Amino acid sequence: MVRLLIFTFFSLWAIVSAIGVITFTNPIYVILWLLSALIAIAGIFFTAGAELVGALQLLIYAVAIAVFYVFVLTAVPWEKAVKKSSHYRTEGVLSFPLILLLYLEIAVVFLLGVTASPEGQLRGLIEKFGNTEVVGSILFSKYFFAFEVVSLVLLIGMIGAVLIGRKENQTYEDDTR
Amino acid sequence: MKTIPVEAYFAVSTALFVLGLLGMIVRRNLVTVLMSLELALNAVNVAFVGADYHMGLVEGQIFALFIIALAAAEAAVGLGIIIAIFRYRLVDSTDEITDMRG
Repeated sequence: MVRLLIFTFFSLWAIVSAIGVITFTNPIYVILWLLSALIAIAGIFFTAGAELVGALQLLIYAVAIAVFYVFVLTAVPWEKAVKKSSHYRTEGVLSFPLILLLYLEIAVVFLLGVTASPEGQLRGLIEKFGNTEVVGSILFSKYFFAFEVVSLVLLIGMIGAVLIGRKENQTYEDDTR
Repeated sequence: MKTIPVEAYFAVSTALFVLGLLGMIVRRNLVTVLMSLELALNAVNVAFVGADYHMGLVEGQIFALFIIALAAAEAAVGLGIIIAIFRYRLVDSTDEITDMRG
């Protein structure tokens, strides 16, 4: 019961922060709302007993990626975004029924999947050894190749970001207008 | 032990995903579009972890870790592209990038 109350608290916090992310105009406020949403989602992970994912959510998302966004906002002049209208209002209103339809479809598929899914295969093992040990043992045995591929993707992403973001001597003229 | 129904996790996940998708559509600034994308990725993580909690597995948590790592790579490349676009074109809005319009 206490667990359900904590889950409800974190879910409401996450949803309110998500609404703040898509409505505020100033990108600095948007980053703060996103940080709040990430912390709330880490709380949701903790209520599900996923301590490792929650801790990595706090460490990687809420620290590394949020700071990264702040750095980029210092490089891009975002004051223009505050002066102009910051949202596509008509497009948002027009796409809202489609989004609602997608929402209902996802909900139906989820509910069908829940009734068909098995329950509790590794639960005894998790209670015996703890969440992080079980995640680590399966990650480094069954999904070891995927783990290596993810490290390769991170390396390629880093090299690509350095190559894309470097300064070039030549600047291209915008001849479209 | 199980007090939170799995439908609650899926409801929160769907709400967050749809809010992120709506943010990707309605936002004009490129950086805030990427932030809405991060929100949608986190919603998928919530669905994975909630399903894990229901079924007593750990595979969903492993894939949530993969999603977090790929989101870090995606943020690095995407923000690099945004900086490059701004440096060469001096625009930061999604409707001003019209070079490939036919």
